[in-house]
Amino acid sequence: MAAEAAPMDEKAKRMRDLLSSFYAPDPSITTSNSSINASFDNINSTSFDADQYMDLMIKKSNLEVLLQRHVQMAAEIKNLDTDLQMLVYENYNKFISATDTIKRMKSNIFGMEGNMDQLLQKIMSVQSRSDGVNTSLFEKREHIEKLHRTRNLLRKVQFIYDLPARLQKCIKSEAYGDAVRFYTGAMPILKVYGDTSFQDCRRASEEAIEIIIKNLQTKLFSDSESIQARAEAAVLLKQLDVPVDSLKAKLLEKLEQSLDGLQIKPEEASKLVEHDDSSNDTESNDQHPAKIHEDAVRGFSEAMRAYREIFPDSEERLFKLARALTAMHFENMELYIRKRVSAADFLGIFRIIWEDVVLMDEVLPEAALSDLSAEAAQVTLKQFVARTFSHLQQDISDTLLKFDINQKEAVEGEVLKVILEASQKAVLQGTTNIFQDFRQLLDENAGIFIKMRDLISGWIQKGFQDFFRSLEAQFLVLSGKTSSSNDIEGKSSDKIHAGLILVLAQLSVFIEQKVIPRVTEEIAASFSGGNSQAFENGPAFIPGELCRVFHAASEKLLQHYIDTRTQKVSVLLRKRFKTPNWVKHKEPREVHMYVDMFLHELEEVGKEVKQVLPQGTFRKHKRTDSNGSNTTTSSRSNTLHSDKMTRSNSQRARSQLFETHLAKLFKQKVEIFTKVEFTQESVVTTTVKLCLKSLQEYVRLQTFNRSGFQQIQLDIQFLKAPLKETVEDEAAIDFLLDEVIVAASERCLDVIPLEPPILDKLIQAKLAKSKEHNNNNNNNTVSS
Amino acid sequence: MQGGSSGIGYGLKYQARCISDVKADRDHTSFLTGTLSLKEENEVHLLRLSSGGSELLCEGLFSHPNEIWDLASSPFDQRIFSTVFSTGDSYGAAIWQIPEPYGQSNSSTLECVASLDAHVGKINCVLWCPSGNSDKLISMDEQNLVFWSLDSSKKNAEVLSKESAGMRHSLSGGAWNPHDVNSVAATSESSIQFWDLRTMKKNNSIERAHVRNVDYNLKREHILVSADDESGIHLWDLRKTKFPVQELPGHTHWTWAVRCNPEYEELILSVGTDSAVNLWFASASSEHKTSESPVEASRQRVNPLLNSYTDYEDSVYGLAWSSREPWIFASLSYDGRVVIESVKPFLPRR
Repeated sequence: MAAEAAPMDEKAKRMRDLLSSFYAPDPSITTSNSSINASFDNINSTSFDADQYMDLMIKKSNLEVLLQRHVQMAAEIKNLDTDLQMLVYENYNKFISATDTIKRMKSNIFGMEGNMDQLLQKIMSVQSRSDGVNTSLFEKREHIEKLHRTRNLLRKVQFIYDLPARLQKCIKSEAYGDAVRFYTGAMPILKVYGDTSFQDCRRASEEAIEIIIKNLQTKLFSDSESIQARAEAAVLLKQLDVPVDSLKAKLLEKLEQSLDGLQIKPEEASKLVEHDDSSNDTESNDQHPAKIHEDAVRGFSEAMRAYREIFPDSEERLFKLARALTAMHFENMELYIRKRVSAADFLGIFRIIWEDVVLMDEVLPEAALSDLSAEAAQVTLKQFVARTFSHLQQDISDTLLKFDINQKEAVEGEVLKVILEASQKAVLQGTTNIFQDFRQLLDENAGIFIKMRDLISGWIQKGFQDFFRSLEAQFLVLSGKTSSSNDIEGKSSDKIHAGLILVLAQLSVFIEQKVIPRVTEEIAASFSGGNSQAFENGPAFIPGELCRVFHAASEKLLQHYIDTRTQKVSVLLRKRFKTPNWVKHKEPREVHMYVDMFLHELEEVGKEVKQVLPQGTFRKHKRTDSNGSNTTTSSRSNTLHSDKMTRSNSQRARSQLFETHLAKLFKQKVEIFTKVEFTQESVVTTTVKLCLKSLQEYVRLQTFNRSGFQQIQLDIQFLKAPLKETVEDEAAIDFLLDEVIVAASERCLDVIPLEPPILDKLIQAKLAKSKEHNNNNNNNTVSS
Repeated sequence: MQGGSSGIGYGLKYQARCISDVKADRDHTSFLTGTLSLKEENEVHLLRLSSGGSELLCEGLFSHPNEIWDLASSPFDQRIFSTVFSTGDSYGAAIWQIPEPYGQSNSSTLECVASLDAHVGKINCVLWCPSGNSDKLISMDEQNLVFWSLDSSKKNAEVLSKESAGMRHSLSGGAWNPHDVNSVAATSESSIQFWDLRTMKKNNSIERAHVRNVDYNLKREHILVSADDESGIHLWDLRKTKFPVQELPGHTHWTWAVRCNPEYEELILSVGTDSAVNLWFASASSEHKTSESPVEASRQRVNPLLNSYTDYEDSVYGLAWSSREPWIFASLSYDGRVVIESVKPFLPRR
């Protein structure tokens, strides 16, 4: 670059120097001095004033310098003069040479025109010659071309005439591809001249082509051919303008038809999952339905693959078909599990379906079959879980209601026990089975299950929660405690046997104490893989809550049992006390019938209770327990009471009432209404207590004459012995029976009790009579 | 039980079943109660709560010729009340007036205003018209319903109409609808019957056996509370009589009587033969309770029993809210003990 720039600069400088030397008066001096000299002493400047310069010079310099300067200037002027002369000379020289050159050019151009004319003439002659050659060859060339065209035409005609034969040959060698190519090649000609010159030829070739089409179609439909071949056939057919759509439709139809065959019909489903081992052993002879099904599905998927390759543009239909099959599978599955199905069977079917889906998915990955089936499987599985639970519930209630209590009751004493045991077993066995089943579900390794394992655990937990809740509700409905909404007044509460209520109560206790802990354990052991989602949505399995629910239910049911039992007695007593006119009662002759009925009811209660409830620890000493505390409270209220008595304005003599009060206080108040426990004794005692209390209340509502009172006295006296036998809390019974007597005496116009001997006699008579009655009954049953 | 300590007690000499709030006494909280003694001379006690509310004073003591099975104070005159009594083999009902000035002598005699002697069988109760100023009465025996007009100045009671409920339905008691003075509820063996007094016809009924006592909710129309022997207390909506609106467990033994609080619509008192008085909180607004999700319902199901007063020696039959101080109630047990309690600690926050 530098090397380049330097000459450029040099050149430019030289040019500038040249120019300035040419035009400027003294360029070198100008450039060199301009900077040094000021405007005054710069000779080269345009504004140079000679006079000034002179003045300056004279003022500044001495003579010597002035002289020197003069000399110098004179020399410079001389130099400049010579330079100028040189320049003028040189320029003149150049002018002269230029004039010379122009003169020479003028002389040279002269005579060129003649040469040019000559050249033109020669070229003209060349052209005329070549035209001559061209015209002489033209005819021959045209002839050659014509010949060539004819030859081509002939060759085509030859081809068309050969076409049928060639096609036949192709058919023979099954080279349908070539045949179709030939035919399509000849097609335009045949179309134009087919009706005239090539009629025969055309017909023959069309026949051949028809054969080919037929062959191709058969090839297309034959399953034995390779897919490649079939696809080719389809392509060829398409090339032959054979309506492919109808073919497609036909093929699809065929596929659809085969769908029907592939259905797992609910009724056949169980056959499919029959023991796998048998199919392994005797495969050759008796093909197992599962095997057949698998083959069929494989065939189907192959067909689909073929179809897809043959008609790649119409996959949608295939997707639809495959989806339909999957959907159908799951629908059938739903139908199938509507019946009772074991988890193993369920899984078997599921596995088959899954295999099918996998097979189809391989062929049609775009159809998203696995997603579809995963969704469907979730739904189905959820249903299965729900159904399993509802089946269990059904089982339990079936077991409960299986026995017709009312009929067998008279004959067999153990019905309730049987029911209780059966239903306990049903609950226990049922939950165990459910766990087994669900564990199978969890252990299943089909791809779809692995994904859903968490979900399944959640469902199972939730299922148990719901199951127990609905079971409790059902218990209450069964017991008639709550009327279910679906059957309004379907069965009134009195139709429900009291024993059943008792069984339900005990069953609730059993569930609370045995079943729920077990279920909790099982869930913790096997199904703890709880998914957080399920917990967020709703409460999954909460054993504490369930225990509470069942505890409450058991108490409610037990209370309900006692209520229904006492209700019966209450009705009995109500009738007894409403009917006679107690003020005009006749002298007591015997113990009244209702006592028998009352005792009979109690006996029934005892029987039922004995079957169902456990025996309590014997607690005769309870009386002394409660005595201490009760006396204190009683005495406290006693003082209170007497305070009030004095405060009241009454100054009257102490009434009989007060005396009975005092008597009552001394007799030690007994707690009548204690909490019911799940023991035989407790239930019986509570029932008796409630009945006696009712008796007391009924008595209080009446007014008796002497005989009426005596009747009551007699009845109560008679009741005393058998009641004490059945009831653990003798003190309470004594107290209540006395209360009845007191109440009767208070409501009696003329209290004169029966003499003890008479009382005794009447009671003995009654006892003898009932014994006789029993004997008779026994005899009757024996004889019959 | 702690509940007993707060009560103010008063002892009658004899056994007793009935107590009534003296509604017409606007200056004092008073109650009337009568004894039930077959052989002794029976008494009617007029009790008044002292102004401090700490003492129950006897303002008057009047002898009554027969044992009293039912007693009701008239809503318009504090001196007038009705009784149903029994002589042992026959029943009677009468309107009485407390003599003036009362409370001077210990046992002044009552003035009989009118005798309601249109009955033959066992008389159950006398109901005063709840409107407070009309002199209409209803008396009920086991078969008949009698509608009376009372003229207290002329000492005369006139039968306006009488209707037989039929032999099969033995009536046991009733309540006069405070929202509709033409409607009376009567309890019978198998149902609660509703009578229209204009036509004296039965126009509705709730099929429910053995109902012992009913009471209308004073604050809320259409709500009726019933008590029966076995299955406790039920709240009914009179527009939907098929099923009860709400169920309360009632008492360990029979539930004898129920009373709705005159001021606080949710409060219900019940007395029972298990020697207890129970105070209930029954919202009864849960008409759409069924639509709630069961989980939510169970969470909301708080114990409706607010308190149980158990400091009684015998069955409790008498019960009355004070209409002047609606947080006060009087209860009467069979042994003749009146207990006044305040439910102030349990009042719903407003």
